[in-house]
Amino acid sequence: MTRTPGTSRKSGRAIPLAGRGVRLAFALPAAVIFAVFFLLPLLSVVREAADDHGAAFGRVLADPVFWRGVRGSLVLGTLAPAFSVLVGFLVALNLARLSERARAVALFAISLPLTFSGLVIAYGFILVFGRSGFVTLLLAKLGADPAVVGGFIFTPMGLGLAYSYYLIPRVVLVMLPVLTNFDRAQIAAARSLGANSFTAHLDILVPQVMPALITAFCLTAAVAIGAYGTALALVGTQVNILPLVLYSKISDAGSDFPAAAAISLLLMGLCCAVVGAAELIRARRAA
Amino acid sequence: MSVRFENVSFRYPGSTAGVFDIDLEIATGELLAVIGPSGSGKSTLLKLLAGFAVPDAGRILVDGRDVTDLEPHERALGVVFQSYALFPHMSLWRNVAYPLKVRGTPKAERRQRALDALARVGLAEFAERAPTSLSGGQQQRVALARALVFSPRALLLDEPLSALDAALRHGMRDEILRVQRGAGIATLHVTHDQEEALSMGDRVAVMHAGRLIQVAAPRELYDRPASRTVAAFVGHANLWDGEVRAPGRVVTRLGELACDTAGFEPGGRTCVLVRPEQVVPLAELPGAARPNVFYGRISEDRFLGAVRRCDLEVGSGLVRIETNIRTAIAAVSIPPEAIRLLPPDPTALHTGSLS
Amino acid sequence: MLATILYLLFLLAPIALLALGSVGETWTNTLLPSGFTGRWYAEVAADPSFQRAFLTSLKVVAATCILDMLIAVPLAYAIHASARRGVQAAARVVTLLPVATPELVLGFGFILVFSSDWLPWLGSIWLLIAAHVVVTLPYLLNILLSDMGHLRLDELERVAATLGAPFSSRFLDIVLPLIRHSLLAGLITVSAISIGEFQISNLIAGFLSRTYPITLLQAFYGATGFACAATIVLLVLAVLASAGGALTARAARG
Repeated sequence: MTRTPGTSRKSGRAIPLAGRGVRLAFALPAAVIFAVFFLLPLLSVVREAADDHGAAFGRVLADPVFWRGVRGSLVLGTLAPAFSVLVGFLVALNLARLSERARAVALFAISLPLTFSGLVIAYGFILVFGRSGFVTLLLAKLGADPAVVGGFIFTPMGLGLAYSYYLIPRVVLVMLPVLTNFDRAQIAAARSLGANSFTAHLDILVPQVMPALITAFCLTAAVAIGAYGTALALVGTQVNILPLVLYSKISDAGSDFPAAAAISLLLMGLCCAVVGAAELIRARRAA
Repeated sequence: MSVRFENVSFRYPGSTAGVFDIDLEIATGELLAVIGPSGSGKSTLLKLLAGFAVPDAGRILVDGRDVTDLEPHERALGVVFQSYALFPHMSLWRNVAYPLKVRGTPKAERRQRALDALARVGLAEFAERAPTSLSGGQQQRVALARALVFSPRALLLDEPLSALDAALRHGMRDEILRVQRGAGIATLHVTHDQEEALSMGDRVAVMHAGRLIQVAAPRELYDRPASRTVAAFVGHANLWDGEVRAPGRVVTRLGELACDTAGFEPGGRTCVLVRPEQVVPLAELPGAARPNVFYGRISEDRFLGAVRRCDLEVGSGLVRIETNIRTAIAAVSIPPEAIRLLPPDPTALHTGSLS
Repeated sequence: MLATILYLLFLLAPIALLALGSVGETWTNTLLPSGFTGRWYAEVAADPSFQRAFLTSLKVVAATCILDMLIAVPLAYAIHASARRGVQAAARVVTLLPVATPELVLGFGFILVFSSDWLPWLGSIWLLIAAHVVVTLPYLLNILLSDMGHLRLDELERVAATLGAPFSSRFLDIVLPLIRHSLLAGLITVSAISIGEFQISNLIAGFLSRTYPITLLQAFYGATGFACAATIVLLVLAVLASAGGALTARAARG
């Protein structure tokens, strides 16, 4: 417990060291940038969507392409995070048992994809899983149809596999601190009470880390739903997911901008809802 | 070099916690220790003096000058924090020289003064080391040197020993006292360790619920506490509610006690204080009934090395004993001069818990 | 353990094949490329559009880092110095924005706002830089804020105040030197993100202000070796940045 002056949470009249003027001046540049290059663009999207009194939403909701995009995004936004959380959890579980040094090295390797451009991943996956990719040809030697195997990466599920390349590191980063702090003596206690290793983990570990798992799922789901770079590089605009539907609307000259704005808002709403859910769970865990 | 709080009140917004009507003076060269349970406001007192909080009412004077509205950096007070808060990116001498640097002292001079200050706390040879390479006690000494190097007008110590282990703590008490005496400045020492307060303070202030309830020299505080709260907080105590039967006679749970009742009217309530080490244990019952002798059954018996601490059940009452005799104890004698009557506990009036 | 090994294979396979492909003479419908050559790299280096894109990317990264630093350091300090719950909550929202706002949507907003007569900045390199600043700023802010909390900066500043240091001295002598490691690590992360950024740049870059990733996408439709070499360049830059960041963070802790 610290008893140092000023660290107390309730110190209301305990004056902050930097005066109000300094703090406002220091936050000003960020506020200006934020207003002009974040709020203004988003507000103009809202204005564009409301331009014809909401008729754009009607057009969008009546468009089968939009609904195919929603379905594709929901599939992608569920499968990719689910797969990533499963793999990421197992990997984090493994890392948590390593020594501090080995963990640091493994963590560095695992977090590399976070800084990779989505394009790097896309082309790498074409080389591994594409129509004449390494794995495709390898499986062809074992008798698999290269057209089927090579086509997989261009489906929403295949896309999910590519996405998990940079989603898994995010899961590991969320889960690792939780798992390192988990007191493994609990598992030993459960085993001594008669549980086998699997049930001990299922009954003791999983419920305790469930909030973190859900947070990881939501965060990766938001990324999977909102991103388009990797998908564009892999499949052009041929797969029906919401961001690609939106992208083709934006990039086609003379297209329906109010409808694109409406899709933007729906897409952003979806992402915000998922991130908000994660934040609520995080806040409840902290309380 | 004196410090004065004049009617200072401060309440944390949105709570009832704070400090109220604080009137306190610390003379030049005096070390005033402030003790109290956590949340009693002792740290707030230090915050107010250091300038990290502004009083709602009253004023604070240092050397007769009103500093209430001064910024912390304008007050020239040396503060030693509980965590020492050494700057991790500066070597020890740069840490100690920092207050001189911000005052514009030339580099050669401030280096020399910093080295001198480090020498005074016995760390001259570590001058170029980084703070993180030091033990807790060494960091503490650097923090002390840093707080004193610019000849501050007062020294503020915020639980300076609480992060040290017990063995180091005793040595550091003497060290702090030596350095404080050398500097000869008014010192406010906030601590939750009553032994530390009694051994270091010229005077000790006891805080409770944001108020000063007694300020006195250590011996006075221990022997003549002003209230039951002070008696209970400072040292160990037997405290029995009682009623003055007649001059020189008080009735408690244990039975009748003979003692000096000066200042208490017969029929009035009181609280009886007896320190456990002043209770005289008896190995066997005296032949004839004597005043202030009670027999009973030992219910707890703890051997702590130099001291043996036991509880004697007497009827429905309990007598705490501290002794060094090791034989069986059958009775106790309470010398009349060891008994001190305190104002009655206000809560006892309502509950009527007197036997 | 098996899961981790499989995962590491999954992690390394694309990178390994990219590296192999970039030095392979020919690679069509075979398991691995045949022959060894450095000509793909030479071709990428000689390609004028890649040269221009590389230069543009460097300019954007440098400007983004400088602006991020000038904006994020004071902002992080202001947030850290304010103990109010509201300020802390607002900071949390800001750091969540890059996840909650798809860059595609933000890029669309840029097109709407900055193609107007009022603010006709679309296609300029400065708008590109502004977009990169907005996208990367939350990451830097996050790193700075967690480091400030970890250092117990507020406490150190309080000591400095009692020692007589006014605000300017405290900021220059205590705050800036203490956060320099995390600032450097954060800026390296910012560079890594900025150099690989594709999603918003692709929408708002002008023909002459195309960044490296945008040009790279065109290369995917050409020769495999050329595409691999061009991709590896980007990959190496990202790995270098990550390694630099990790080493800086290590040095800061040590």
